[in-house]
Amino acid sequence: MPEGIHGVEWLTRTRDAGDLSAWLELMPYARRIGVTTSPDPKGDGLLFRLDPRAGNVGNVMLPALHGGVVAAFMETAATLDLMLATREPRLPRIVDISIDYLRTARLVPTHARCSLLREGRRLANVTVSAWQKEEATPVATARLHFVLDDPEGGQA
Amino acid sequence: MHADSRPDAADWRRALTRFVNVIPHTRELGLEVLEASPRLTRMRLPWHAELLGDSRRGLVHGGVLTMLLDTACGSAVLPALPAPEVCPTLDLRIDHFRPAVAGQDLLVEARVVRVTASVVFTEGRVWQSAEGEVARAVGNFVRLGSRNTPPAFAEALFAQEEDDHA
Repeated sequence: MPEGIHGVEWLTRTRDAGDLSAWLELMPYARRIGVTTSPDPKGDGLLFRLDPRAGNVGNVMLPALHGGVVAAFMETAATLDLMLATREPRLPRIVDISIDYLRTARLVPTHARCSLLREGRRLANVTVSAWQKEEATPVATARLHFVLDDPEGGQA
Repeated sequence: MHADSRPDAADWRRALTRFVNVIPHTRELGLEVLEASPRLTRMRLPWHAELLGDSRRGLVHGGVLTMLLDTACGSAVLPALPAPEVCPTLDLRIDHFRPAVAGQDLLVEARVVRVTASVVFTEGRVWQSAEGEVARAVGNFVRLGSRNTPPAFAEALFAQEEDDHA
């Protein structure tokens, strides 16, 4: 699909409609691992969910989710959260991620919530917390930086 | 591998191939071990459209690179230890130099930088043949020790197969 004005229109329209399924549609790996979103009942943001699929297992002895899949879930959450939260329509591109694994992630649903700590003109800083049974006992926390590409053309 | 000798590079390549084939996620994605030794581990993730994170721009999902680097660094830990131990990831840091693009395999290499009594320090990098280096990782892994490693773990790594003449 061509970039440029067509991309801006699409991004603005889906953003105004809060159509996150349209965004997830363009993220095949996020769909493969089973990422979904819903409005956060505790605020005006988003809540994210990772489906406990057999294909997401990284340790068959425990069994436990693959740590890299949990990271991919958290990166997806941060990207979608940012696409909705920026002042203007922007396409986030990851610069770096730092993830701490706090507890074994079992083969049960995993949830995540994001905080946009800073939105600069070109860069954003997002933190993500992921939990399973209790939000107070996260399985992982992550901190990510993104470049905010202008969909009007070119890179920020 | 003979009982009275340490595993060589061919033994380790077979052992880590078993390791990534037992992990459902990497087995389904067709991850291949190219080389393994206490010095270096190299793997190849074949291109597949399901690896995309941005279909419009044709970019690989950053999380694929994190998953690949976690797997490669975690695998590289095994040949570097006196005996195989289960070593979960403590933390990971990934730097994305440029996006990995559609249509090309992802190549990864990982090495152990230092082994201490409680932690194994690793680093890794991912590249594509036409793009060059796209990401690097620093990953630290916890040594759970032999007491917390099931005896079946090492046995499974070095199990002899019919066609397996070391």
